[in-house]
Amino acid sequence: MAKIIIKDIVKRYANGFEALKGVSAEIAAGSFTVILGPSGAGKSTLLRTINGLETQTAGTIQIGEHIVTPHNLRQVRSQVGMVFQHFNLVDRLSVMTNVLTGRLSHRSWLGSLLYLFRRTDLDLAHDALIRVGLTDKAWNRADKLSGGQQQRVGIARALAQQPRVILADEPVASLDPVASEEIMGLLREICTRDGITVVVNLHQVELARRFADRIIGLNEGLVVYDGPTGGLDRITLGKIYSRNGDLVDEQLETMLAYA
Amino acid sequence: MAEEIIQRPALPKKPFNPTSVWLSGWLALIWLIIVDLELSFETLLYGVQDILEYFSRYSRPNFDDLSRYVELLGQTLATALWGSTLAIVVAVLLAPFAARNLSPNAVTYRIARELLNFMRAMPDLLLALIFVAALGLGPLPGALALGVHTAGFLGKFFAESLERVDNGIYEAVTASGASRVQLVMYAGWPSIQREALGYMLYIFDRNVRMAAVLGLVGAGGIGLALHDTLRMFNYDQSAALIVVILVTILTIDYLSTWLRGKLN
Repeated sequence: MAKIIIKDIVKRYANGFEALKGVSAEIAAGSFTVILGPSGAGKSTLLRTINGLETQTAGTIQIGEHIVTPHNLRQVRSQVGMVFQHFNLVDRLSVMTNVLTGRLSHRSWLGSLLYLFRRTDLDLAHDALIRVGLTDKAWNRADKLSGGQQQRVGIARALAQQPRVILADEPVASLDPVASEEIMGLLREICTRDGITVVVNLHQVELARRFADRIIGLNEGLVVYDGPTGGLDRITLGKIYSRNGDLVDEQLETMLAYA
Repeated sequence: MAEEIIQRPALPKKPFNPTSVWLSGWLALIWLIIVDLELSFETLLYGVQDILEYFSRYSRPNFDDLSRYVELLGQTLATALWGSTLAIVVAVLLAPFAARNLSPNAVTYRIARELLNFMRAMPDLLLALIFVAALGLGPLPGALALGVHTAGFLGKFFAESLERVDNGIYEAVTASGASRVQLVMYAGWPSIQREALGYMLYIFDRNVRMAAVLGLVGAGGIGLALHDTLRMFNYDQSAALIVVILVTILTIDYLSTWLRGKLN
C-alpha cells in the first residue's frame, strides 16, 4: 500500500567500512521484491535503513508520503512491520503478548507499564494469529515453539501493526526447506491479498524466482541488477554473486544446480 | 610396505599460554603479603588451644527464652523483607537508566551508574549507624540501611542483565514503533525475568544474614539480643541465639535454592 523510494543511500560504518555506496531504487506499492546478493553485500543494511534501524550516511528514504527522519521514526515504524532471521521474539512472553507488541505504537506508556491492551488490539492480534494458523498456541510461551512456528509468530506480530510495508531480513535462513516454503508462501499471500508492500532479503535464488515480482541484486554496496524475476539469467547471477570483481563460475554451477 | 612419509604443512606458531605467569605472580604476591604483614603460622598453632577453649563455652545452648528469640527473629526477618522490598523498587526504577542499551543518553547512563555505585559503596553497617543516629534504635534504620546498600547491588545486576539481552529482541520491539518505556516493559524485563527473580531471592537471603548482624549496631532484631548476651558473657544464651540464627539462615538458603530451581 505504500511505495518505497530509496535515493542515493550511502552507509559508512564507524570503522570506515562502506556497506552501501549509493543505492537507489523505487519499490512499487503492493509489490513483492527480493533483494539478492552475497553475504556482506549490504542487503541487511539496506533493509534496516528503510525503517531507520540503521541511519544512513547520505541519501533519503521515503515510505508512502513520508520521508524517514530521526524525528518521525516511531510514526514510520508503526506502519512498517519487520520480520527477522532469528525471529527475535521475546522468549518468555506468550505468543499472544508477542503479537500484541505489534500494537505498542498505538498505546500509551502508562497502559504499557501495566501490560494493558484494548479490546480492539486483542482482536487484531487474534486475527493475525488466525492468518498464520497459530490460534491454538496463543498462550504458549514463544520459546516453546518450533522455528517455523516462531517465524509465523514474527509475521503475526508484523501483521498486528496493520502495516503498509513488511520488511523481512532473511526470514528463512534459519529454517528447514518445508518451513521456508510455508513462510515464503505466507509472505506472498499477505502481499497479494492485503496489498502490503513486501521486501525480502534472501540467499535462495530459487525461492526468489518463484515468489518475487522483482529482484534487486546487490554486490559490494551497489545495485548490480534491478528488474523482473525473469531476467535472472546466468550472467546476471554471476554479476550478483561475483567476488572482488571476478565472476565465480564454478560456485555458480553448484548454486544453479540447486536452484 | 615402506612407511609413507607424510609431509604436513607446518602449523602456525602456537600462541603463548600465560597461565604459568599469572600463577607465579599470584604466589609471589601471597608470599610478599605474608612477609610484609608478619603473618605467623606458629602463633596460629599455639592459639588453637585457646580458640578451642573459647568455643567450648558455647557448648550448652540455653533455650529458656526461645519464645522471645522467635519474636526477635520475626523482627529481623521483617527488617530484611522491608529492606529487600525497598531495594527492589529502587533498583527496578534505576536499572533501565543504568543499562547502556536502554538509557536515553550517556549523561543519564553515567548518573544512574554512579548513583548505584555510590549506594553499593556505602557499607550497610555504616549506613545503619547513620540511620540509627538519625532515627533512633529499632528495625526502621536497619531496613533503610539494607535497602539503600542492596539497591546498589540489585540495580547493577539488573542493568547488566538488561544489557546482555539479545539486541535483536530490542530491535524487533523498537521496529514496531515502541517507545523506550514500552521497550523496557516488553523486551527488557520479560527477557530477564528469571535472572531477576534469582537476584531478588539472593538479595533477600543476604539481607536476612545482614539484618541479624545489623542488630549489633542497634538496628533491632535478634542481633541486638546477641549483642547484649555477648556483652554480659551469657555464653549459653548467645549459643542458643546463634543456633536460632543459623537454622533460619540455612532454612532460607534451602528455600531460595529450591525456589530458584523451580524457576529454571
